[in-house]
Amino acid sequence: MERRGRIIAVLLIMGLAFALVVMRLVFLQVVERSKLSARAERQQEQVVTLEAKRGTIFDRMGRELAVSVDVDSVYGIPSKIDDPRELAQRLSRILRQDPRKLERKLAGDKHFVWLSRKVDPTKAEKVKELGSAEIRLRPESRRFYPKKELAGPVLGFLGIDNQGLEGIERAYDQTLRGVNGWVLEEKDAMGRMVFPGGPGLQFRMPKPGSDIVLTIDEVIQHIAEKELDAALASSRAKGGVCIVMNPQSGEVLALSVRTSGHGHPPFNPNEPQHFKPGEWRNRAVTDSFEPGSIFKPVLAAAALEERVIHPLERVDCSAGKIQIHDRVIKDAHENGVLTFTDVIAESSNVGTIKVALRLGKDRFYKYITAFGFGRKTGVDMPGEIPGLLRDQRLWSGVSIGEIAIGQEIGVTPMQMAAAYSALANGGTLIKPYVVAEIIDRGGGAGTKFSPQPIGRVITEETCAKVNKILRRVIEAGTGQKAHPSGYTAAGKTGTAQKVDQRTGNYSKREYVSSFVGYAPATSPKLVIVVMVDTPEGVIWGGSVAAPVFKAVAEQSLAYMQVPPDDEGSRMLLVAR
Amino acid sequence: MRRFVVAFLVIAGLLLYVGGKVKIMRLGYQIEALEKEKQDLERANRSLRIEVSSLTSPARIEEIATKKLGMIRPPKEAVVVVKRKAPPRQE
Repeated sequence: MERRGRIIAVLLIMGLAFALVVMRLVFLQVVERSKLSARAERQQEQVVTLEAKRGTIFDRMGRELAVSVDVDSVYGIPSKIDDPRELAQRLSRILRQDPRKLERKLAGDKHFVWLSRKVDPTKAEKVKELGSAEIRLRPESRRFYPKKELAGPVLGFLGIDNQGLEGIERAYDQTLRGVNGWVLEEKDAMGRMVFPGGPGLQFRMPKPGSDIVLTIDEVIQHIAEKELDAALASSRAKGGVCIVMNPQSGEVLALSVRTSGHGHPPFNPNEPQHFKPGEWRNRAVTDSFEPGSIFKPVLAAAALEERVIHPLERVDCSAGKIQIHDRVIKDAHENGVLTFTDVIAESSNVGTIKVALRLGKDRFYKYITAFGFGRKTGVDMPGEIPGLLRDQRLWSGVSIGEIAIGQEIGVTPMQMAAAYSALANGGTLIKPYVVAEIIDRGGGAGTKFSPQPIGRVITEETCAKVNKILRRVIEAGTGQKAHPSGYTAAGKTGTAQKVDQRTGNYSKREYVSSFVGYAPATSPKLVIVVMVDTPEGVIWGGSVAAPVFKAVAEQSLAYMQVPPDDEGSRMLLVAR
Repeated sequence: MRRFVVAFLVIAGLLLYVGGKVKIMRLGYQIEALEKEKQDLERANRSLRIEVSSLTSPARIEEIATKKLGMIRPPKEAVVVVKRKAPPRQE
């Protein structure tokens, strides 16, 4: 009897324990079910952002100029760190950061703190080797410019959150960005993703950013930068601009901008933090300057079109100076009686102004605006200014003379390129552009850009007359150093006094030396603008800027395989 | 005897079901691992493309060609343009 009682007692206790477990089970599964279920889902499910890849920027031949790549960024989880000081010490050696700053970041309760963003792969490896569970890596997208300084100011650069801050990166930021996607992930107890997820996988695919193809040619860009740098170094100038453009289409083949002065490294968008804002300014469109004599062909074209002068008509420049209103303007060197052709070829101010007076300010103003001055060219780069052209109603008595010789007017290098393109292509003003194509990586159609003519400025007949005059500049005038060997060319020299900022008068020591022209003159393929800011020593455009034109024209035309067209170059006629 | 068979079938069915689910989960892990490998390879590929781009930059090529290989730009005298003359028409 006793044994039986004990057995019943044990069974009762076991039954009770079992009942308790069942009750607990019922409690959890039934009563608290929804609350606990929701909590589990929150731990299990996670919305993960799928970053859209930023589009690549290519040159016209498909070479990469700007590419995004995933690199590791280092972050920490302070709430889980027991000894921030020790960790900070070890990290400071790897990340090259102040250990006390790191320690401050790692102390505290936060769940996430950035330690170093977008680090080199070697640093990332060393962080991994630390083996700390609270210091982790996370991929972020970083922009690389593999050609380093090449076309730096044109490309621009990105901020730390991949937003375009300058140049094409900024002007086409929306196009390059794409749209981020997301996916709802389920994770198991180990934090690994379970696939497929819950009730059907929920996600939205990221839309990748579009790629951009520029009109820029990497090789011609390199030639322009190299030759401009050489001129800046030998003349110890403050800066300069060189533009190479296709006069038939308006495509910008090269745009070289140097603003940091000789001796300073040119802007490298891989390291924008090493440069000051002035050094990535795209001066080709953002700044204007007084062009000086390179503006004279505008007067020449207008006068010839309106038939107030004939190219061989004689103009008396022997006085060496001319009085206009209350001002006396002098010639740079003595001239006698010149044909109008030689007035331009020898760059006589007196001759130019005499013809300008014959033309009259109304007609002159009409042609100045027809050539695009006083307006933006519309090129697709940020920050373009329209230059400075006083409305003709506000012209003083002297204005017509000053403007004819390129003073009292502000122009941008891009406007000069567009204006000379009109002279080179038979008389039509066209719109310069830098982006040739947008390629849609998401399967869409993309966009191809084509040349956009703006309007006719002068007839082809007048254009041919101007062409002959500008060829004379190089054959026998002030631009002889611009003559590219093997090719014919046409253009104009300019040596403009800068305005002294303190006195407001024209400086006697600071000049802008320029040369603008096109080649080959018989069938122009390239317009080249060269502007050198404040050369020391020799300041004439014909000596400082013209040689840059020659070098860029020779090398670029050879690269483009344009056959030499100058008589006297060696040519072989071969029968088939 | 009957009850035995039924119980056996039920248990077998349950085991198959659970086994199937486990297999799915294992495949899911494999897929994730392969996805990660694919991403890593894509990343490496992009890095290498950037390196190629950087190594072929015109400035670098010119430097190597002129300084290390001793090449020069051909002077104009060394360039001869050959133009084809059109063949005479057959009458």
